[in-house]
Amino acid sequence: MKATMRHTIRAALALLAVGTITVVLTAPALASHVVVRTAFPTSGTVGEIVPLAVDVRTPEGAPLPGTTVTYYLHMSFAGVGGEAQIGRAVTDQNGVATIGYQPRAAGLHELRMEYLPPGATAAEQVMGAFDVTGGPQLVRPSGGVDIPGINSGLLMAVLGTVWLILLSVAFRLVAIARAGGATGPAPGDAPR
Amino acid sequence: MATLSAWQERLEATALAPVSRTGARFWALVGVEVAVLGWGLYAYSVQLRDGLVVTGMRDRISWGLYIATFVFFIGISHAGTLISAILRVSQARWRTPVTRIAEFITVVALICGASFVIIDLGRPDRVLFVFAYGRWQSPIIWDVLAITTYLTGSIVYLFVPMIPDLALFRDRLTGRTSRWRAWLYRTLAIGWNGNVAQRRSLIAAIGMLMILIIPIAVSVHTVVSWIFAMTLRVPWNSALFGAFFVAGAIFSGIAILIIVMAILRRVYRLHEYVTAKQFIYLGYLLAAFAAIMIYANISELLIHGYKLEEGAGFHLRQLFLAEFAPLFWFYLIGGLIAPIVIVLLPATRTVAGVVVASILVTVAMWIERYVIVVSGLRVPLMPYESADYAPTWVEWSIFAGGLALFALLITLFTKVFPIIAVWEVAEDHNAAVTSPAPTYAAVLDIAADSAGGSS
Amino acid sequence: MEEKKGQDVPGLPDVGLSRRRVLLSLVAPGMDRPPAQSGEGQGGEGLPAEAATPEAPPRALGGKIGRRRLLRMVGLGALAIAPMPILPELIRSAVAQPAEPPRGRRDPARTRDGRIRQWTMIIDLRSCDGCQGVGGPPRCTTACVEGHLAPEPMEWIQVFEEELPGGGTRFVPTPCMQCQNPPCNNVCPVGATFSTPEGTVLIDQDRCIGCRICMAACPYDRRFFNWGEPPTPPQARLADYSPEHQVPARKGTVMKCDFCPDMARAGTLPYCVQGCPNQAIYYGDLEEDVATNGRVVVAASRFLAENDAFQLKDELGTEPRVYYIPGHGEAVGRDAFSRGRAPTEWPWTEVSEGSVTWQR
Repeated sequence: MKATMRHTIRAALALLAVGTITVVLTAPALASHVVVRTAFPTSGTVGEIVPLAVDVRTPEGAPLPGTTVTYYLHMSFAGVGGEAQIGRAVTDQNGVATIGYQPRAAGLHELRMEYLPPGATAAEQVMGAFDVTGGPQLVRPSGGVDIPGINSGLLMAVLGTVWLILLSVAFRLVAIARAGGATGPAPGDAPR
Repeated sequence: MATLSAWQERLEATALAPVSRTGARFWALVGVEVAVLGWGLYAYSVQLRDGLVVTGMRDRISWGLYIATFVFFIGISHAGTLISAILRVSQARWRTPVTRIAEFITVVALICGASFVIIDLGRPDRVLFVFAYGRWQSPIIWDVLAITTYLTGSIVYLFVPMIPDLALFRDRLTGRTSRWRAWLYRTLAIGWNGNVAQRRSLIAAIGMLMILIIPIAVSVHTVVSWIFAMTLRVPWNSALFGAFFVAGAIFSGIAILIIVMAILRRVYRLHEYVTAKQFIYLGYLLAAFAAIMIYANISELLIHGYKLEEGAGFHLRQLFLAEFAPLFWFYLIGGLIAPIVIVLLPATRTVAGVVVASILVTVAMWIERYVIVVSGLRVPLMPYESADYAPTWVEWSIFAGGLALFALLITLFTKVFPIIAVWEVAEDHNAAVTSPAPTYAAVLDIAADSAGGSS
Repeated sequence: MEEKKGQDVPGLPDVGLSRRRVLLSLVAPGMDRPPAQSGEGQGGEGLPAEAATPEAPPRALGGKIGRRRLLRMVGLGALAIAPMPILPELIRSAVAQPAEPPRGRRDPARTRDGRIRQWTMIIDLRSCDGCQGVGGPPRCTTACVEGHLAPEPMEWIQVFEEELPGGGTRFVPTPCMQCQNPPCNNVCPVGATFSTPEGTVLIDQDRCIGCRICMAACPYDRRFFNWGEPPTPPQARLADYSPEHQVPARKGTVMKCDFCPDMARAGTLPYCVQGCPNQAIYYGDLEEDVATNGRVVVAASRFLAENDAFQLKDELGTEPRVYYIPGHGEAVGRDAFSRGRAPTEWPWTEVSEGSVTWQR
């Protein structure tokens, strides 16, 4: 009887250990003392600010203010992939940390939020994702100052006026040539 | 009446003399000018073959002698503007003997100036791109437009008042000159015979031109200055550049006119018409514009020097104390102060004195253009050691060739066209003789005549 | 003066004109003179013929041609002549497509959802030590020179050593700033230098006339001229020239850093970014707000803001696309007072025939 009881206790302890380890491994958000939920919109549009909220509570449901949550977004560019920090927020009295993020690329956005629960020694994390559809061009090569009327048309108008006056002088010369029929003072006479 | 007729005969004979007779000295001079021009063309061929690396310009100082000479020649072209246009509008009668040469200097200087820009291009084979792909927003295109307009206007302004004199040549020289010359005068005189309708058209044309040419000329050198002022270089980033350059242009134009008139007066014995009065009055104008230039320089330098923003300290040091000091002090003292002193002192207020002042001014203004271009580019933009620039033999040769071209065109002009505006001089003489009102101007004339003598 | 205003002088053409007469002659040709002339006036040398025997009443100048016809001719002539200065522009606007396609280029680089990328560069000076740590000339410059076969002595990205307050120095790799208000673009007479939709400033060496006003206008000393036959290795002649890939260089034209647009569009990083041993140079896209130095990816806006990024000479209003994170190489162990970097080398063993080199 004693041996059976020992085996049973050992098995129960082993089960408990495995169960604990399993629970610990499979439910990281279900840490011993916080419950974290992400409240992301399902989709967003490029250029429009999307609120990304993370709710941190005790297992009993009481909000946990004062926890810093850091948001990381997975990006890739020119063949290099990695995580870039896109914001940091502190949970308010309702236990909610929110950042307003303006998505700049279309497609699935995978985020990782890192936070340090009160009393814990290691940071913990929670994942989230949302989809983003394309939007309008946000950054344009900037031009100058557009003052109506100050343009090349004005330059052309000024130039045209000057050349018009030169042209009318040319007409005067034509008139001189054509008036050569009428006689003037004889050559040896008074000066012209 | 008889005296006036004799005077008129002498005037016409003097005007016709250069065209009728050509001596060996003339051909010798032309030979020298053509030789120098040929050497300049050879140097340019070297530059075309090897590229601009044969010059002293490099990335840090990317403009040099060519652009300085371009600005200088465009500046000289304002001789015609002042004398022909401004003095005509203000009805200053003493200008009549010098108007023709002033207008011709304008045309020749514009041609020489424009050629120096083309010489400076890295790809002169693509110069027509300026017309095919020109951008209105570029100061260089403004330059092309302004210089083209000014050149056209100046050629017309040279030609139109010359019509009566060309008719005089046509009539007096028939049978006494070569066939091509007779054909030239007949064609260019466009049937002028002095009748009322023609005179009316001539007056109208001259009236329009003399008013139009002033804003054109002012705009030309303003846009030339904007090639520098539209950049962000510290010594060039100034709102004053437009007015500063126009004043300097008229200043150097007066000086070159005095020099050319002095030479022609000696060679063609124009002493009776181009008297000491012309030189003294032009000397007064020279001194007046020297004063304006002093004012402009003080404005520029004092405003920058008082505050000494970044780069201004370096610039003032290189101008006054270091690399450019000899050139810049010569410009200030020899080009700006000396002419005023020479003209103000009665002892030096002579034809010779005014000519010396003009030579100083011409050299000093070229130096000033050179210093503006090179010192402006020499101020370092980033943390590097400032570079140095020295023109090479190619640049000096082409420069000499350009001067030779200028002299050659004027030399040839005097042999083909009337160098005195005969009808204007005669009109002025008649007005002075028949009603010598004792005006203050006449008193000044008497003073100038007695001071200058008949040198 | 001798001549009173407003007085008509019969005989010699009078150029001491009154302003009223000039204006009249401009407006109504021929109407500036009264038809009959009295003999009053100063020229004794007047025209005796005219005073004595007045000709047929001098008709208005327009009389011979007819004022209306004259005005018509002037009008038609104006229509003919006035467009002359603007003729090239008229031709171009008549035949050109709405958006003139940039020369020698393909479509601009775009994000996945079709927005045009806006290239930018962020240089982290905390990691730049002028390659003192690795020895030799700066690797960014060397990589650029070798990748583009840049002629000596051009350093399209040049590492300047800048004095710091207190006496130390820092190294500042300086590519073309790719300004959004580029002084070089503004002054170019033929449009040889132009901005692309990605915000990059390129040069078309087939259009450049070599006037070098762009070099005078650039406040960053980032433009280089081929003064002579450029000393490039012979294999440069094999390349297909395009403004996005400036090989081979042409004599008499201008060149500069072009942000390697062909490589960026293909999804690789420019030579200088790849060449830096400390990954101090980030290349990015402001439209997608991302940048990378080859190892890490950052959100560009946050990277700039949180590291107090600055720009060179931004008070000039050129709006550069190159940002700097202040530092002096401390992240890679450089002491601020250790001066000097090795000079750049152009390692061609063989250059094209007839080419020369020059100093900057």
